[in-house]
Amino acid sequence: MDIFSGFSLIAHSIPYIVNGVWTTLEIALVSAISGMILGILLSLCKIGRIKILAWLADFYTSIFRGTPLILQLTIVYFATPQLIGYDISAFLAAVITFGFNSGAYMSEIIRSGINAVDKGQFEAAGALGVPYGAMMKDIILPQAIKKILPAMMNEFITLTKESAIVSTIGVLDLMRRAQVVAAENSLYFPPLIVSFVVYYILVMILTILGRLFERRMSRSD
Amino acid sequence: MIKVEQLHKSFGNNEVLKDISLEIKKGDVVAIIGPSGSGKSTLLRCINLLETPTQGHIFIDDQNVTTINNRNMIKIREKVGMVFQHFHLFPHKTVLENLTYAPVKVKNKTKQEAVQKAEELLKRVGLSEKAEAYPSRLSGGQKQRVAIARALAMEPEYLLFDEPTSALDPEMVKEVLDVMMDLAKQGMTMAVVTHEMGFARMVADKVIFMDQGQILEVASPEEFFSHPKTDRAKDFLEKVL
Repeated sequence: MDIFSGFSLIAHSIPYIVNGVWTTLEIALVSAISGMILGILLSLCKIGRIKILAWLADFYTSIFRGTPLILQLTIVYFATPQLIGYDISAFLAAVITFGFNSGAYMSEIIRSGINAVDKGQFEAAGALGVPYGAMMKDIILPQAIKKILPAMMNEFITLTKESAIVSTIGVLDLMRRAQVVAAENSLYFPPLIVSFVVYYILVMILTILGRLFERRMSRSD
Repeated sequence: MIKVEQLHKSFGNNEVLKDISLEIKKGDVVAIIGPSGSGKSTLLRCINLLETPTQGHIFIDDQNVTTINNRNMIKIREKVGMVFQHFHLFPHKTVLENLTYAPVKVKNKTKQEAVQKAEELLKRVGLSEKAEAYPSRLSGGQKQRVAIARALAMEPEYLLFDEPTSALDPEMVKEVLDVMMDLAKQGMTMAVVTHEMGFARMVADKVIFMDQGQILEVASPEEFFSHPKTDRAKDFLEKVL
């Protein structure tokens, strides 16, 4: 069978594969948002004065960076439910794992961003009597996040691509749907290439959106 | 009144302030001068609690600020404004937002009150037309005038200046000094770390000369500039005048 007839054979399944993009995006987006919130909290612990919190945050980060993501996912989806007798949906397991994992990476990015903010900003806010929490929220984090926007965009793109791992626990994302169609037809090249192209276009769109957003954020320069 | 008693400050083994005592009375303009590394800036930063003294006491209106808790520290910082050498404006906020942020957040003013006050202050420093600009669009002199206005927006009773003109191009020094002179005339209590001898001579009520972490002379400007008592002050004046 030549390549074209292969594509025409699965033609009716192409929309099914392409629609997996929404599942992929959903997982990436929910994970990125929870990862970012978690990352901010962790980074504040890391730069704070309370030693035990800083240590815990560092420990947390080292755990999630020091083990394979696919193993973390398997533990959350298969192992933990067996232990506590609670049934978790594949989607929930996916966003929990990715959110926690992304939080670890995000916290390092945000921490470096906070450290890159001029010390004078802390002093100016302090000299005006601005309390610590308000200073972080209104003065320091906005500047830090602006500095790390490219790195955060990168993290989001990585997350989008890495989310293909959820296919291993049966979430019907872009990757999994291509595998399903491949198995149904015993034909691998066409469906996998479809998801290949969709991933690529998705990442390109995200990259462009990221650049536009960055430009908008830099209007105060 | 600000009263400093036997203040010591060390960074590691390096003692940058040695037994400093001084008084700044309400309405006084005190110029703190001396060679680089003499501890002038550290002294100001101790008064504003940006540094914690190693030893000694600082009283601001009879409150001992060296043993202060967090909440009262904020109260003191409302009272004592600070202007930095490098301005430290908030780059992601417009000029107007720079002026209104702390009054709204810290003094619980309404947005409207804060904006009104900010516009008044911008007019006073001659920058009304820059209200909506971001700091990156301003020249150094303009930035420093905004920074002064930002400090004034908190309605402080004392204003500390840490080398306010040292980071400026020469042609911008005057516009900042003019604003400071205007403030002095209106009775603001000021402590100014400066290398502008002309300003110290004209505006200060009192000159404090520091070297190597110690206060060597406290005198009126006429006395200090015409008859410095110590050799080190003579030496210093010879170099800068």
